[in-house]
Amino acid sequence: MRPPRRRGRRALASLAVAASLAAAGLPTIAYSAPPCETPRGFSAQKRLESPDAVVLYRTIPPAIEVGQHFAVEAVVCPTPSDGAASGLRVDARMPEHRHGMNYRARVVKKGDGLYLAEGLLFHMPGLWQLMFDVERGGRTERLMTDIDLE
Amino acid sequence: MNAPRRRLVTRFVRPAARVAAGCAVLVALAGTADLPRVSGNPATTPDTPGATALSPAERRGVLRHGPWPMPATTDRSNRASGDPAAIALGQRLFFDVRLSAGGTVSCATCHEPARAWTDGRARSQGLAALDRNSPTVLNAAHHRWFSWDGRADSLWAQSIQPMLDPREMGATARHVASVIRADAGLACLYGTAYRQAPAAQPDDERVLVNAGKAIAAFVERLDTGKTPFDAYRDALARGDHAAAAAYPTDAQRGLAIFVGKGNCSLCHFGPAFTNGEFHDVGIPFLVAPGRVDSGRHDGIRRLQANRFNLLGPYSDDVSGTTATKTRHVEQQQATFGQFKTPSLRNVALTAPYMHDGRLAPLRDVVRHYSDLDMDRIHTHGEQLLRPLKLSEAEVDAVVAFLESLTSPDATATPAPRSVPGCP
Repeated sequence: MRPPRRRGRRALASLAVAASLAAAGLPTIAYSAPPCETPRGFSAQKRLESPDAVVLYRTIPPAIEVGQHFAVEAVVCPTPSDGAASGLRVDARMPEHRHGMNYRARVVKKGDGLYLAEGLLFHMPGLWQLMFDVERGGRTERLMTDIDLE
Repeated sequence: MNAPRRRLVTRFVRPAARVAAGCAVLVALAGTADLPRVSGNPATTPDTPGATALSPAERRGVLRHGPWPMPATTDRSNRASGDPAAIALGQRLFFDVRLSAGGTVSCATCHEPARAWTDGRARSQGLAALDRNSPTVLNAAHHRWFSWDGRADSLWAQSIQPMLDPREMGATARHVASVIRADAGLACLYGTAYRQAPAAQPDDERVLVNAGKAIAAFVERLDTGKTPFDAYRDALARGDHAAAAAYPTDAQRGLAIFVGKGNCSLCHFGPAFTNGEFHDVGIPFLVAPGRVDSGRHDGIRRLQANRFNLLGPYSDDVSGTTATKTRHVEQQQATFGQFKTPSLRNVALTAPYMHDGRLAPLRDVVRHYSDLDMDRIHTHGEQLLRPLKLSEAEVDAVVAFLESLTSPDATATPAPRSVPGCP
């Protein structure tokens, strides 16, 4: 598996640019994502952020293989304990083929702000979008990342 | 429809795929000469006389169709998996017509070893005419779902289903249990495999399930060996260009199309040449006037209603891991008219083709994808396919490649198995 990579698309494009600039130590656009600390022992593979939310996640196992079930462990900030986020949905799709997964991921809260999404399976090689829908205050915000599977 | 389709084509073919398509066109232009034309693209692999140049992406695409055979595994949901007595029992049951209601058909009626474990018919014939083609059971241990619609989530659940289907073998649990209890050889093997004589098991359904698990244990052993393609793939993996060049050049051309511009390996993925999932490939699903085969859509409904599924009481997997797919599979509108992607191993021996056996010979299947009727693809579903528009030389090449997936042992009848102490 190649490491997940970003592709600028719609609103996400600006976020990706911001993240790149921040990583390079350069001035960024004017928003600051909420602070987000991970529980002890949780080492995120990837950070997704918007002005209102941060998702830190890792996959289990770390390398996604075509045709193999995997899970996603994620931290959402602001956390539910802050009263800011009420839930999380995790899904994926192949935009070029216009289909999603054949499986519905089930998300459970594990405590410490951790969510576990189980039952994901990418059944084809190619570009997938892994999507995190953060629910808060009656609205849903989507953060997503591209994963290119060979 | 037109605009999205054009967009799909331009976006679908990523740079690496464009290279592959370019190579494939060059190969096609080379016609049937002994030495295929070599691309001048510096990204291609070094050439050896007789070897088709592959781009790095194509080479990776070829390599992921192996290694083969895949490692033997046991099915955690089936405690009989890998057990010698259960395998011997399963083998006998597989060929035993007494298991059917009228004593006339067995599993082997639709899965004849000499026909690569198919029946050679377009649509199979059990006790009654069936709607679908019999898929081979070769290499079935590596599948995720079973039957064209994936109605079974384990090989043992799949093995039970034909025994009980009135149109296939028309038996009952009581009938199957009585046959096993009454036959000294079957009863001995059963007792050895399950540590309990069938006569001591009052639950007919438990005996039926154990019969299904024994048949599955036998079928799990029907893995086929290396093919000419595997020899080529392995040579490529170790950088042995001379050995790779022994692979027929027309098959190499077909393989380059398969992993390149054909994008066939998106669905026919991995060492078993199947991603194990379901797609609408433009085959009409009208079975008869007024009757439709909805494929995966109904398959999921039947799976979830099946008391023999991996979420039911008969799974031996206490961890529940093997049932992950069953817990999470989702019936969607797009699953209507989808059928399982079949493995392509030994495909040259398993005509006729498609879920209803409407296409034969193999060349007609390749032509189907070459001339695909997009109006037959569900508009609400995935946009994965497009007509490949292959030349006749390219069709020949793809057929040659598919024929190279034939293993010499695909039509072998397994030798009878004996277990000490059992007649």
